[in-house]
Amino acid sequence: MATEVQPGYEVGPAGFRSEEMILNMGPQHPSTHGVLRLVLVLDGETVVQCTPVIGYLHRGMEKIFENRPYMAGPRYIDNADYLSPMLNECCYAGAVEQLMGIEPPRRAQYIRVLVGELERIASHLVAIGTYGLDLGAFTPVLWCFRDREQILDMFESLSGHRFTHNYMRVGGVLYDFPKGWLEQCEKFLDKFEKTSIPELEELLTGNEIFEARTQGVGYIDPQQALAYALTGPVARASGVPFDVRVNRPYGAYREIPVNIKLRQDGDCFARYKVRMDEMGESVRLCRTVLDKLPGGPISVRSPIALRPPRGETYFSVESARGEESLYMISDGSEYPYRAKLRAPSFVNLQVLPELLRGHKIGDVIAILGSIDIVLGDVDR
Amino acid sequence: MNDVVQNIIHFFVTFLFSLLFLMGAATILVYLERKVMAWMQDRYGPLHVGPHGALQTVMDVAKLLLKEDLKVSSADNPVYKFAPMVFFAPVITAFVVIPFSPYMTAGALSTGLIYYVALSSIDVIGVFMAGWGSNNKYALIGGLRSTAQMISYELPLILSLVGVIMLTSVLAPGCTGPNPDLNTCGVGSISFTQIVAAQMRPESPWLWFVLLQPLGLVVYYICGLAETNRSPFDLPEAESELVAGYLTEYSGLRWAMFFLGEYGNMTIVSAVATAIFLGGWSFPGAAIGFWTDHLGSFGGQLVFNIICVAVFLAKMFALLLVFIWVRSTLPRLRADQLMRFAWLYLIPLTLVNILVTGALLLFIPPNTLVQGDVLRIAVSAVVNWGMLVFVILSFRRLAGLTSKGKLPRWVRPAKGPVTVVTPAAQSQTPPTAQTPELAAGAGAARK
Repeated sequence: MATEVQPGYEVGPAGFRSEEMILNMGPQHPSTHGVLRLVLVLDGETVVQCTPVIGYLHRGMEKIFENRPYMAGPRYIDNADYLSPMLNECCYAGAVEQLMGIEPPRRAQYIRVLVGELERIASHLVAIGTYGLDLGAFTPVLWCFRDREQILDMFESLSGHRFTHNYMRVGGVLYDFPKGWLEQCEKFLDKFEKTSIPELEELLTGNEIFEARTQGVGYIDPQQALAYALTGPVARASGVPFDVRVNRPYGAYREIPVNIKLRQDGDCFARYKVRMDEMGESVRLCRTVLDKLPGGPISVRSPIALRPPRGETYFSVESARGEESLYMISDGSEYPYRAKLRAPSFVNLQVLPELLRGHKIGDVIAILGSIDIVLGDVDR
Repeated sequence: MNDVVQNIIHFFVTFLFSLLFLMGAATILVYLERKVMAWMQDRYGPLHVGPHGALQTVMDVAKLLLKEDLKVSSADNPVYKFAPMVFFAPVITAFVVIPFSPYMTAGALSTGLIYYVALSSIDVIGVFMAGWGSNNKYALIGGLRSTAQMISYELPLILSLVGVIMLTSVLAPGCTGPNPDLNTCGVGSISFTQIVAAQMRPESPWLWFVLLQPLGLVVYYICGLAETNRSPFDLPEAESELVAGYLTEYSGLRWAMFFLGEYGNMTIVSAVATAIFLGGWSFPGAAIGFWTDHLGSFGGQLVFNIICVAVFLAKMFALLLVFIWVRSTLPRLRADQLMRFAWLYLIPLTLVNILVTGALLLFIPPNTLVQGDVLRIAVSAVVNWGMLVFVILSFRRLAGLTSKGKLPRWVRPAKGPVTVVTPAAQSQTPPTAQTPELAAGAGAARK
């Protein structure tokens, strides 16, 4: 048997040589969370090398911004990170306001915090639910979506849309709360805190198999997290105390203190647990907003055609996945000269190849799910 | 001559019953699973086809029968086409030995347990053929995984039944009286009918082996989950990792054969557990004399057998519900954890169980108390329950499943706090009206 031996491949006693297998995971795959493609080089079940291939969902979002007036931006940025549109809109509206030097009224800022934190809960629910599904637990995802549905219902009655809300405006928000909305919100928060979070904790956190699958898997060093510019729950699970709401507070976060949820373990379990803890913190923040909600107008009077002065700005918010920022250049016209979105999923995804090396196929899914990417955000 | 005819009729009735029952039970089980899981997950499940969606699975099967028989052009043709049959045939065949009632069983097989175990291990060949013949990488990984898994879990599955067989050696008829019959005593039985009979002797009608060997049932059931590729051991077809594992390239009827075979396997595992651990068809008043006295010989037999079948099925479906319950609760293990669990945890556990059971039966003398082996049986039951409780309490540590509290060395976080240098607040002007306590709160946040 004539076999050409490549360096690194061993020839067994029977003359066979073992070869690595290349496995294309995605873009059509149940748990790549969208259209991500991972080219895995496998040695048996062990990952030798991983190359993520992105761009299947690229819509040229930043170019779209340049071709639309500032007014039209929120509707498009909704689709960037499609699991937390409200937070994206906060980012866009905040950037344009900073560019124009407008300060939205206090009530609008508080409303933004309220809907933003609700959106964070909704987004983390999807993250945790689908993470359970990735690991083979079928029930958590349905319970999570059940609770998320209530948040989306509230958003629908507030903005008219379940999903792409188009609710923020430059200088404020579009609508005030409809009648009974705040009571509904309070009722949801009570129920969510009292039953839903403990249910999830019971189903996943204490589960031996879940712990075995996640603890010690996909460890990110704090220095590594800084080097890769990881943000959000991924970085906070590695012990990096960075949260835009605390370190560079914006809007009403300057008045409402946020407790950073930190964990030192840096593994998949820590990332999951940080998300769980952040949901509790978001409930607390929502309650604070409901207590202190000021009166007054919900929007400043701004011209229909927004023409910010020439200049550039960089504005970031803490999205559910990390620091989401918008860099904008205005040339004084109705259209942005340049808009660049710093997408947290995109940045967080870069650490994946380094994390996967040496793990098993099952861990690929566990690690990818724990980073919690949204492909709309990665590809923009 | 009359005996031969009777035997043939007996065999055909049982075989047809098994075949139809398998299809029926699998269909019902699929519906049951979808419905029960839906209830557990706050949703409705099938609703529209038939009353409460009861005909949904029937329609699904009909759809699968009518689908085009797709084949991958690069597949290994004979292996690919033969695999579903290799998987499905042992499932039907294994069903023959299950004793549903005193009449409905192939009594000729006195080696029922071995027969069942042997047939259930043929399945793995079908799965591996499917994985290999599909010429698909996901299918290949799934097939290899399932080969490793099913062979590994075969061992503790058999070993967990040994404890029961040892107990039947003591409980065999003629063994417990004052003058033990040495021909049957001390041997133990691997015939399903005799194991069922041992659990319902007149002097101890409720002596189900689950009371004497609860650990055996638990281990058997865990291995049954793994044998049938059910959650949390559903790695061969792990949806989120391997798309559909060895089933990836199958569709239509061939896929349906795997599907029904899998649910048939679950049914068999539950039926065997029912027969061996839950007393089979025994129920309160399980005495044929009562019925023949009231309804005559034929009528009494008929009614009695129908009731027995119903009781057996009720127990079996109760066990099947546990399958569903487990599936909707637990996540999936990783391949290496799965193997470690079988070899380093379950097999030693079953060996210890056999050792302890045997030692108790050996060292505690028979006939210590007035009637039979009360002492021996009671002590071994208590010890086994104690072992079960110990195993459950020390599960984490024994199974080595979790590294809670002691992460591996290379996973420990770096020493010293991490500091992030960031600019101060963003360049917006602060809100106009600020109350003093709010300002204090904001200060606390920045700190």
